[in-house]
Amino acid sequence: MNFLSLAIKNLLRRRGRTLLTVMGVAIAISVLFSLLSLNSGYQKQLDKEMNSLGANVLAVPKGCPYEAASLIIHGGVIPKFLSESDLQKIRNISGVELATPMLMEQFIKKNSITGKDEPHIALGINIDEYKQLKPWWGVQGRFFTNNETDVKLIGRALADKENITVGFVMPAGPFKGFTTVGVLNRTGDQDDNFHFVPLAEAQRVFNKTGLITTIAIKVKDVNQISEVSAEMEKIPDVQAVTMTQVMGTVMNLAGSAESLLMTVIAIALIISAFGIINTLLMSVNERTKEFGMMKAIGASGLDIGKTVMAETLFITVIGGVIGTVGAIVGSSLIEGYVKGVLPYTPRGSLIALSPELIAFCLVFSVVLGLICGIYPAFKSSRLTPMGAIRGGIE
Amino acid sequence: MSVLEAKDLTKIYRRGREEIYALKHVDFNVNPGDFVSIIGPSGSGKTALLNVLGCLDTPTSGSLQLNGTETNGMKETDLVKLRRDNIGFVFQQFYLMPTLTARENIELPLLFSKRDGNKSKIDDVLEMVGLADRGDHLPGQLSGGEMQRVAIGRALINDPKIILADEPTGNLDSATSKMIFELFSELNMKGLTLIIVTHNLDLARQVQKMYTLRDGQIVSCEDLACVQGRDDLVIQQEVVRA
Ligand SMILES: Nc1ncnc2c1ncn2[C@@H]1O[C@H](COP(=O)(O)OP(=O)(O)OP(=O)(O)O)[C@@H](O)[C@H]1O
Ligand SMILES: [Mg+2]
Repeated sequence: MNFLSLAIKNLLRRRGRTLLTVMGVAIAISVLFSLLSLNSGYQKQLDKEMNSLGANVLAVPKGCPYEAASLIIHGGVIPKFLSESDLQKIRNISGVELATPMLMEQFIKKNSITGKDEPHIALGINIDEYKQLKPWWGVQGRFFTNNETDVKLIGRALADKENITVGFVMPAGPFKGFTTVGVLNRTGDQDDNFHFVPLAEAQRVFNKTGLITTIAIKVKDVNQISEVSAEMEKIPDVQAVTMTQVMGTVMNLAGSAESLLMTVIAIALIISAFGIINTLLMSVNERTKEFGMMKAIGASGLDIGKTVMAETLFITVIGGVIGTVGAIVGSSLIEGYVKGVLPYTPRGSLIALSPELIAFCLVFSVVLGLICGIYPAFKSSRLTPMGAIRGGIE
Repeated sequence: MSVLEAKDLTKIYRRGREEIYALKHVDFNVNPGDFVSIIGPSGSGKTALLNVLGCLDTPTSGSLQLNGTETNGMKETDLVKLRRDNIGFVFQQFYLMPTLTARENIELPLLFSKRDGNKSKIDDVLEMVGLADRGDHLPGQLSGGEMQRVAIGRALINDPKIILADEPTGNLDSATSKMIFELFSELNMKGLTLIIVTHNLDLARQVQKMYTLRDGQIVSCEDLACVQGRDDLVIQQEVVRA
């Protein structure tokens, strides 16, 4: 026999109560686990998405706030524009390796399968420059050339969704009559959902001749990003947004949601901690006589404390395991919920199930047990044998 | 040399401003192999005396030597060890762990004394208290007499020098009480020292020495070793064994 088996037998004496306490811990730990995994998954996805842009700096029209810049990355539309001359000025800045213009437009189109109206994002690009920005791009079919007309590329997810294959001619919408010359290989980022057309075609279709929404810039040396963006800001209409700034803004948006979540975690943990302490005190009080007997048959205060501690740890560790497993199983549910709540969420899985996080949650449940067990264990270890046997804590 | 030697023991309980003298200047001496009973009216201080003798409680004044060691002023941690190595307790209410089997209840003190309890040792004790075939039963499946036997087994597992029993038959009918007392005298014949507090005068008279307490003082000490009843018991047992 050892302290653990003694503790387990004691806990099994009050199955219902033990079960409820374990569930309380499990819920708290699963909240902790989900939110932490969500948080690290979110950051990972965001990093990936930022890198997938291929550019270090974006030039956007002045007055365009960072939030809007993040919308651009995600595929939003702003009502201000840059011009060809801005592009030339940026190209002339030393340190700029590549500056490529983009016109981004949103349009509504009926889904060819379901018949529902859905928003779409179209990007007018310079294909040669864009391929330099995104060297990982591959295509089924072919890329268009810059001076072709009535041609477009689409992202893989979009193609799958609407069942579009190479050679498909758009029957309606702003790109009516455009032939899909290629479907991009899956990239895992926002490109999967976009329509790409030559810049001139986008300007023609959307009636924005000579206008540019954004200029994506790749610098020769990443250490020069701040110098380059300072030069860019000297151009009257231009505002430079570096990827680190965009990241910061998005993280701030997410951050306020995150601090709310952290509060929820803290409250859940505190409630469950008090629940555990209460349960333990209750069972310690009920068993004073038993502890007195244990002392009479040779147990030291430390032994009694150890018994109580073993019971606590058993509860929290079992709760921790159940909570972690439950969180892993339920992670997709939570992800769906969070995607609906946060202002900006990257595509792809938000939940990162790392072994470190699992270990952290299990260690945390042990720590929770230690914290909760201290007072009841201390209290019961200080019972004098006679006081205890006569029934009452002195 | 005495196993237990108490001199001038006084125990005062305070209840608010009131002082209750549970023991008044008690001298008490037990030699190895003694079988002692303590009787007295309710509230006379029997439990108080037994608890002080067993180091479960500290006297307000006076000295207590256990196996030649002065316990006065000892630290609690040392008292725990002293108690563990020398004394086995038996209570009126048995105080068995309801979730542990008879065998596990008997084994429990070994968890605290960190001695290794090999199986044969526990079997021996089960045998000794007459529960060889009930080891895997839970307390709830045992009769009162059997539960008290488990408690006695638990008191024996650490090889104590003395057994202290506070009204061990208080919850048992007279036939069962008699059997428990027979078990005690068997253990005594094997050399164990026993001090039994009881309300049952018949049983109390079957031992070697009977102390009577009243109002916290020892008012009489009878040496019963040569009394008829005692001899009868010995003779009877010899007849049964033969
Ligand atoms: N913890 C305590 N606080 C105050 N008074 C106490 C306490 N314990 C015992 N007493 C008092 O000390 C006296 C002796 O009590 P004790 O329990 O030793 O009596 P007893 O002889 O064992 O009686 P019984 O036969 O009823 O068990 C009693 O007057 C009792 O009320
Ligand atoms: Mg009593």
